Amino acid sequence: MIRKKNILDQNKNNTVEEDHILVKSLEANIEMFKNLFRDDEMLIIRKFQNKYLPTAKCCLIYLAGMVNNDLLNENVIQPILQNNLSEEIQTNHLLEELQYKIIVSNNVEMVNRFDELVATVISGDTILLLEGNDNALMISSKGWPSRSIDEPESAKVVRGPREGFTESIVTNLTLIRRKINTPDLKLKFREIGERTHTKVCICYLEGLALEEILAELEKRLDAIKIDAILDSGYIQELIRDAPFSPYETVGYSERPDVIAGKLLEGRIAVVVDGSPFVLTVPFVLAESFQSDEDYYNNFIFASFNRLLRMVGVFVATGLPAVYLAIVTFHQEMLPTPLLISISSARQGVPFPSAFALFFMLLVFDIIREAATRMPTPIGQAVNIVGTLVLGQAIVEAKIVSAPVIIITAISGIMKLLSPTALGSVIVLRLFFLLLASVLGIYGYIFGMILATLHLMNVRSFGVPFMLGLSSVKNHNGQDIWIRSPWWSMTLRPKIIGARNLVRHSMKKTPGSKPK
Amino acid sequence: MKKFLLLTIFLFINVMILAGCWNYKEIEKLTIVAGVAIDKGENNPFRVTVEIVQISGGKETKATSKLLTMEGKTIFDAVRNAISLTGKKLYWSHTKLVIISKDIAENGILRVIDWYNRDAETRSDVYLLISKEKTAREILEGKGVTDEIKSFEIADTLKNEKSLSKAPTTELWKFINDLESPGISNVVPTVNISTSENISTPQVMGLAIFKKATLIGFLNGRESKSVLFVKDELKGGLILDGVQVNNSQPVSLEIFKSKTKMEPIVKANHNIEFNVNINTTVSLEEIPTSMNLTDEIKLKKLTSRTEEVIKKRVGDCIKKVQSKYGVDIFGFGENLRENNPRIWNQIGNNWDDKFKELKVNVKVKVKIKGSGIFSQSIKMGD
Repeated sequence: MIRKKNILDQNKNNTVEEDHILVKSLEANIEMFKNLFRDDEMLIIRKFQNKYLPTAKCCLIYLAGMVNNDLLNENVIQPILQNNLSEEIQTNHLLEELQYKIIVSNNVEMVNRFDELVATVISGDTILLLEGNDNALMISSKGWPSRSIDEPESAKVVRGPREGFTESIVTNLTLIRRKINTPDLKLKFREIGERTHTKVCICYLEGLALEEILAELEKRLDAIKIDAILDSGYIQELIRDAPFSPYETVGYSERPDVIAGKLLEGRIAVVVDGSPFVLTVPFVLAESFQSDEDYYNNFIFASFNRLLRMVGVFVATGLPAVYLAIVTFHQEMLPTPLLISISSARQGVPFPSAFALFFMLLVFDIIREAATRMPTPIGQAVNIVGTLVLGQAIVEAKIVSAPVIIITAISGIMKLLSPTALGSVIVLRLFFLLLASVLGIYGYIFGMILATLHLMNVRSFGVPFMLGLSSVKNHNGQDIWIRSPWWSMTLRPKIIGARNLVRHSMKKTPGSKPK
Repeated sequence: MKKFLLLTIFLFINVMILAGCWNYKEIEKLTIVAGVAIDKGENNPFRVTVEIVQISGGKETKATSKLLTMEGKTIFDAVRNAISLTGKKLYWSHTKLVIISKDIAENGILRVIDWYNRDAETRSDVYLLISKEKTAREILEGKGVTDEIKSFEIADTLKNEKSLSKAPTTELWKFINDLESPGISNVVPTVNISTSENISTPQVMGLAIFKKATLIGFLNGRESKSVLFVKDELKGGLILDGVQVNNSQPVSLEIFKSKTKMEPIVKANHNIEFNVNINTTVSLEEIPTSMNLTDEIKLKKLTSRTEEVIKKRVGDCIKKVQSKYGVDIFGFGENLRENNPRIWNQIGNNWDDKFKELKVNVKVKVKIKGSGIFSQSIKMGD
């Protein structure tokens, strides 16, 4: 108890009391800053003076690296240094005069509370102190190096916009705003993280997003009491439903067009400073199979791709289990020639099929994990080891039979078809395999029933996780199993888009028929 | 909550123990039986020969066959004796056929098929065959032509029998089904060995007639086709000898589609006649002489000639079966039972006697549909 109190005291050590305000003496004010930022040599204190008006003793305080130096030099220091202040302005209201007439900056505010000033400095703005004034000017001067807008690595497309989010929340919001040019786009900021003070922005379209979901989201965000938020992944885990499920119940994307699309369906986005991944809620299972490219390509082709992804997840989770079940429990289900060829491949292999499958699936995931973390040149070496050494040699050495390699490869490729579902596929695959190795095909079916029960039970912000998957009727199934053409998708998705269901009123097929 | 969890775990364990498949066995450890031949033993009532698929690994899959013979007092006894030879239990799920020797069949095959139908490891969708050779084992001896494993080769033959139609195909379940139902007797294809150039290959041709479960006689390949005609089981095959143009060599007609309708006509005093209407679509496939195929009169002649031939053959076949064997292999009785159960209940008891004197009117309608991909026959230049 005493220790805990000590830690709490230590946490308080560096914070500023709220009612602390500036004094008239410039030196005293500077001393206060120096005190607070002791041992922080990035704090720059630049004192200067107007040559025509000696009373105009100024001081700029900012953090090196966080500000745009050119902006400060040309628009703040130069005007104050070189203008003849004694003639041009009234010297009795020097600070106001500076704010209104001299400093060339789009955002200058007068503040006297010390804690606000400290926050300003930390966030990358500059403060201007003036001798004999107990007010200070906050000058907007943020400018730090940031990554340019590139195509995101996590979601490349052949057809579609190539811009991706960056680590800067302002840039990210700009990217969204550029897609949706309406004042209905609401951006609500808050800071989360007791030490990091990370900016988090709730982003939604008024009149589209359900108020209940918005309120629930705000409630959950307010409930977060954590010291640091370094990526949106923190928030994702802290606000999600079904916290123990292998399935994601909060969506994320690195692409502004995806987020814009989801906002337009009535979903709510959460943008977190420092993370290029923007979260969306509510998230349903069907979204794992949707790709932004679906909406830009021919709808028939897009529907085919989407079906492939669904089949991919199904096969990737089930194939090893079904193979094992058939080969070790239900050999009568195999066509005779296949039985003979599998049996021939297994001649001389010492390990049981179940072990070989577990082993190979593990090896596949080991290679995948290793290749992800490695820099590209070494990643290629990992690939060679994976394909040559493990793929070929292991079969020739008769440690694992060839069909097992084929099954592992098919399952491994198939699971990559829907990257968002990757985590759940890997976990469920092993679970099903375990069941199948004990109970045969019955075990697999048993596992499928359990998984379905779980999926039917999960909700994301009150929306059923399996929304739309169980029905192809009406507008429900228009964007689930297939992607209907835009002219026929007149309604937004059920429940999520319920507030304003009508998307557009185009009912006719485009184009004209020859007469 | 704790109670609920406990209950769930309990149920889960129960489900595993009570419903799971508890026989994990590796695929390469199986001794796959491809086919069985059943003969009379020397010292025991049964001698069972199984053809085992021997699979060798390596880069190329190689499956060869090996015969294994064991004797026993019953079939199951013999089969279990196999363990003393192979060290493993035989795996029956991929067995394609059961060949039964004449000797056994003449004494009734119920004893043979009962185990096969009853046991959990065997399947009842195997083909049943009767060996016309001295023993059934001979059929499985030697090498196959297209397949190393003879049983698989014979099974393929039976599968493709529909475009030859010289033997019926009878699966075990069908045999038992017909055995149990009144008004129909079983036919089982026969297999013999044909030797050419020192290679002996099994040949499936003709059928064996059963009275209940006992073998009483055989029909040859051509007669088998007539039986298939009546039973409406004909899917293809040729009609040739007898169908002639201008008394020269026969033409080949391939059967495309054939539909037979059997219809009982009940007359006074429970006298029953049967109308058998055969509708066949054929195509000219081979014409040895030059003939103008667009000539309607000639085509009509050919059509009526073909109709006559089929009518005669089918009629002869029915008569032969009626007089010689006296068992209803065509299923007239079954048809009557389905169409007119009232009459059947009155006369069904001695159907075999009735069948012997049954009057059957065969009507054949042939339609020549085409003449291959040419409309003309080959013209010889001078």
